[in-house]
Parts: sequence; C-alpha cells; structure tokens
Amino acid sequence: MDYQKLTPELIEQLKAIAPGRVFTNGDINEDYTHDEMPIYGKASPEAVVEALTTEEIAAVMKLCNEHHIPVTPRGAGTGLVGGCVPVEGGVLLVTTRMNKILEYDLENFVVRVQPGVLLNTLAEDAQKQGLLYPPDPGEKFATLGGNVSTNAGGMRAVKYGCTRDYVRAMTVVLPTGEIVKFGSTVSKTSSGYSLLNLMIGSEGTLGIITELTLKLIPMPKANVSLIIPFPDLESAIGTVPKIFMAGLKPQALEFMGKEIVISSEAYVGKQVFPREIDGVEAEAYLLVTFDGDNEEELEAISEQASEVVFDNGAIDVLVADTPALKRDAWAARSSFLEAIMADTKLLDECDVVVPVNQIAPFLVYVKSLEDEIGLTVKSFGHAGDGNLHIYCCSNELEEAEFISLAEQFMEKVYIKATELGGQVSGEHGIGRGKVSFLKDSIGETSMALMENIKRVFDPNMILNPGKVCYKL
Amino acid sequence: MELLVCVKQVPDDSVTVTLDASGKPNLGGITPVVNAFDTYALEMATRFKEANGGNVSVITVGDLKENEKSLRSCLSVGASTAITVSAGDADAACALACGIPAAGTYDVIFCGSESTDVSAAQTGIRLAAALNLPVVTNVLALEPADGGLTVKQETEEGYRTVSVPTPCVLTIVKPAYDPRYPTMKSKMAARKIPISTVTVDAPAASDAAKCVKISAPAQRQAGVKIQEKEAADAVAKAMGMLIDRKLV
Repeated sequence: MDYQKLTPELIEQLKAIAPGRVFTNGDINEDYTHDEMPIYGKASPEAVVEALTTEEIAAVMKLCNEHHIPVTPRGAGTGLVGGCVPVEGGVLLVTTRMNKILEYDLENFVVRVQPGVLLNTLAEDAQKQGLLYPPDPGEKFATLGGNVSTNAGGMRAVKYGCTRDYVRAMTVVLPTGEIVKFGSTVSKTSSGYSLLNLMIGSEGTLGIITELTLKLIPMPKANVSLIIPFPDLESAIGTVPKIFMAGLKPQALEFMGKEIVISSEAYVGKQVFPREIDGVEAEAYLLVTFDGDNEEELEAISEQASEVVFDNGAIDVLVADTPALKRDAWAARSSFLEAIMADTKLLDECDVVVPVNQIAPFLVYVKSLEDEIGLTVKSFGHAGDGNLHIYCCSNELEEAEFISLAEQFMEKVYIKATELGGQVSGEHGIGRGKVSFLKDSIGETSMALMENIKRVFDPNMILNPGKVCYKL
Repeated sequence: MELLVCVKQVPDDSVTVTLDASGKPNLGGITPVVNAFDTYALEMATRFKEANGGNVSVITVGDLKENEKSLRSCLSVGASTAITVSAGDADAACALACGIPAAGTYDVIFCGSESTDVSAAQTGIRLAAALNLPVVTNVLALEPADGGLTVKQETEEGYRTVSVPTPCVLTIVKPAYDPRYPTMKSKMAARKIPISTVTVDAPAASDAAKCVKISAPAQRQAGVKIQEKEAADAVAKAMGMLIDRKLV
C-alpha cells in the first residue's frame, strides 16, 4: 500500500481539529510505540492525536483518508498481540480522554459510555447502582473500546458470555470520516447483516468506536468462591464437565497448575492455596465462584459442588465466603500475567481456545514442547470455556534466538489446537502477532473474505494497516 | 489450656464508610465481618491449641441472631465453642468482664489489639483491668512456659520477649501468617454446634472514654508532580523542594 507521510501542513490541520492535543517527534511518549507485548515489534507514529469527540475523530479520518495517511486507533495500550502499534507510522488516534460514563437507562438496563472509559471504572460505578457489567477480562485498566474491539472475555464468560453479549449499540467513525450508528437498545433484531457484530472483535480495522451502549444486569446478591486442590492436573480438568453435568452454573471456573500459583503468590506476597492436605501434595487447583440470590442458596450449591469434586478426586474444598478471603483467593489468580512478566526476561503468549474435553490432552502436549523446543512453558486458563493462556519464556536466550524458538513453539501449539477443534484466540485477538497463525487455522478463503470486508469499510486501507486479516 | 478469643463483628473494612446527613456512619449494604485483628487472634489461638492441646472458644457481645454468621465462621476455623453475652447497653469491656466469668474458666483470653471500625484499642486492656489479670499488648507469637506463657511483643522499636503467668489477657497484632480458610467439611460441622448465650447485668457504659464526635477524615491534598524529563533535573527539583521545606 502506498501511504503518504504527514507534512507540516497536515500536522497544522490536525492541530486545528484537536487544539493542544496533537503531539509529534520528541513530544510523543515512548509508551505509544508498543502495547504489552513489544516482542511483536515497536513503531513510532508521526503524530499522536488525543481525541475528545466523535466529530474530531471524523475530521481526522476524513483528512487522513483524503491524503492516504495511515491511522491506528489506541485505547489504554493493554493489548497482547501488537494490535495498536502504528506499524506504518501516520497518526496514532488515542481515545483515553473520551472517558465519560454518559448515562444510565435503568428501565432498559443499559449504560452509554465513551470508548475511553476503563473497565474498572464502569464496573465500580455500575456496582454503586446495584448493577453488574458482566464481562470481566483480567486487565481491569483496559478501555471499554478496546474490550469491544477484541471481544474480550474474562473470568465470568463461562456463565455470562463475552463482551459481544453486552454491546447493544455503538457510534462508529468509518475510515472515510462518515459517522454511523450500529445497533440499538432493543434486545433482539432480525434486521439485515449485523454490522454491530462485525465491528465487535474487528480490532480497530473497520472503524473507530466513539460511543457504546452496553447492557447491564442486576448485581447478584451473594457469591462464594471455592478453592479446590487436586493431586494432578488431569483430575482437576476432568472434573470441569462433571460440574456442568450436575446442573451447576459457576460464574467463574479457572484452573491453575502448582508452579504458577507458587510464582504468583510470591509476587503478591501472600499464600492462600494449600500445598499439602493430610499428606497429599496439591499439583493443580480449580478456583470456582458461584453467585445467587442469598447465602442459603449458595450453601446448598457449595455442598452440591463439593460432592461432585470429591467424587472426582479433589483433596479438599476451601471456602472463601468473606470479602477478605475472596479478595485474597482471586488476587493470586488475577496476578498470573504480572507474576510471569516479573519473573521473565523474554516471553511470548497465546490464548487458544479448545473444546473443554480437549483441555487436558492439549496441555500435556504443550508441556511436552518444553523439552523439545527448549523454552520454559507456563499455562493457566478458563477451564469452563476452554480458553487457555500459554506462555513460553526464557531468561537466558538472546532475543533473536528466543523469537525463532518461540515461533516454532507457537506453530506447533496452533497446529495442535486446530487439530483438536480449537481456534487461535479466545479473547486477546489477532493484531499483528497472530496473522499467519490465523491464516493457517481458518484457511485462505476465510482470510480473503475478511480482507474484502475490510476493503468495503476502508477502500484506501488506511485504518490500522497490517492487522488481523492481512500482512503488509 | 482453655483459650478464649473475644471477637467483634464490624463492617467490611475494605469499604469506604461515609457519613449520612445527620453525621452518622452509613453502614447500609456493607457486609458484616469478624474484625480482622480478632481473626489473627483466633488463628494464633488455634495454632497454639494444635501445637499444645486445649480448647478454643469464642465470645462476642450482642444479639445472637445478629452475630450468628460471624460466630459460625469462627467455629469453622478452629473454635469449638461459641458464646454471646447479652448485657444491655454495657460497653464491650464491661460486658465481657461480667460475661466471661459466667461463661467459664479460661487460661488465656485473646483480644484483637484494636477493631477496624473505631480503632480505639481499649477492650483488651480494660477487660484485663476489670478482671484483675495481667495483660500483654501487641502480641505476635506465644509459647507455653512454666506457670504461664512466653510471648513476643511488638514495640515501637522492635520486639520484646515477655513472660506472663496465666490466666492472662493478650492483645494480638498481625502475625507473619494469615488466618486459614474454612473448608466445606469444617463449615458443615460448624453449623451443628449450639451457641450459648450468657445474660449478665453489667454496668452501663463507663464515662472513662466516650465518643464526642464522628467526622470524616480530611481529604488528602493533591500531591506535586515532578515532570522534568531528565532524571538529574527531576532529582534536583525534588531535592530543592525538600530543602525548602527543611525536610533534609
């Protein structure tokens, strides 16, 4: 693609659109050159525009489209696949200052927000109204615009679904600068192609989301978490379908191996998960949360769940039923990524999703690659929906050698996941880092369909080039 | 040894408490929990029992129905008996001083060093005074010794090892370990344990200490951001500010 460079005249025009919020050269913060996985490459934009309104974004897009200037949208930069890296330079369009919660509509159970509102901010604000925004990705300081753009999932997806299930409507600026609205507050529709759903998970390649209408639900009145140690990973994973078959509906259902628990507890400075119970060593754990209307209901559910897990080899069931115990139980789980990053010089990551009954064989295969490839492998994930986070790590190798070995590792991991009926990404997206693996997984025809859809939205291919469905 | 842990139910301390229009704490919707320092005391007593034998009981002041969940929570993590003291308007120390002798005979009475709601740190020492027992405050660890206990006390300078005869009162601070989690089995067992109530005619709240006023803490002032790009410039500016305020 033949892109143009920003000229001094164009920069002046950008400054007229967003006065005081256009940055160039040495004024560009280094953070804007990467997301949380710089291993997929860093790149500097020619200008950063911190937008405040839909109209400003429309004016920026119109200008850039006319002059073939690439534009990369960016929220909080917490992505893990290089999706917001401005690989072709141009304009980096930052939405973090569009951070207002605009309006609650309590009769329709929806909230209107700007895209730069952080997940944590909405979650806490909704809670004050007695409401729950169910999507619960691990990164609480991501923007909601970013969450929608990757269809982020998180811990509660097993019961409540992913971000997609909570987006009712959105305002979008197309690459041409036109402003459109997709969806509405209604709860069902059969009104042509769902452009709303096409936008969700499109990682800023089809348009820029400038406002969102999100669905909320009444806050469940009570919840309880159970920490369930097992003597081995296979029995922990094997218990997962049994929990569902018993008619139990956990709000969250996570599995974790002993090594990552030890590492994360050292990171947060508190030990919660028991290492040994009555002489039996715990090698793996399930961490389960149930919600309900009252404590009596939860007691009955916890007892039923305990019967199921004991029948399937659990060593014990620890009950987190006070706010402090719940916080501590989930603090270790929520810090897995930070703990791995703190322990590791170089790492690469994938978040494949496989059918729930294939989790155990898949993890055994992945662990076997540790010796074959020569990288340390750490894994955890959402046992309830088969979404696994797998990290290959090294503290000894030089970066070039690590990247080469990590590529071999990832290739084998994705081939195996596809063989088992899985998909490349459960919730992180494709971005720049996983394009080849997506092509291998879904095939050229599907990739071409995606690229052609992008061309309809973005005839000049200026928006977030080289991401998701094609390589530059 | 017979070990007794005094516990108080308080609002969840992770929630910011605001004042209502009349200046009273707005506690609606905040989950009641066992005071964190009392949970440390219970864990310490339970570990002592596991190492040296004995029994752990918990006691609280107030209505059984209001406190039952907290007491059952204590019964699921080490206590084998639970008692409530019904004492009308008496304050906690007075109520416990009357209620404990009526409930039984104990070798060591544990109290959290303070409660997370009012943080007055009064109950343990006033209870000891009323019962005419020796007291060691701010205890981090204990072990049996001839005729009593050897305890590790936290001081402003460090630690002090103190010998104390039993019976005695100890006030407990956060040790190096955390309270254990209840298990499903221990919770189910705790549900079946009867909780007894001791009704006493305790003197009304003494006026040795009384609440004069409740006010919200002052808002913190915004800090100063040092935004110099070069580290040397930032350090120079920070040092200049500290020198100006005569802090270095």
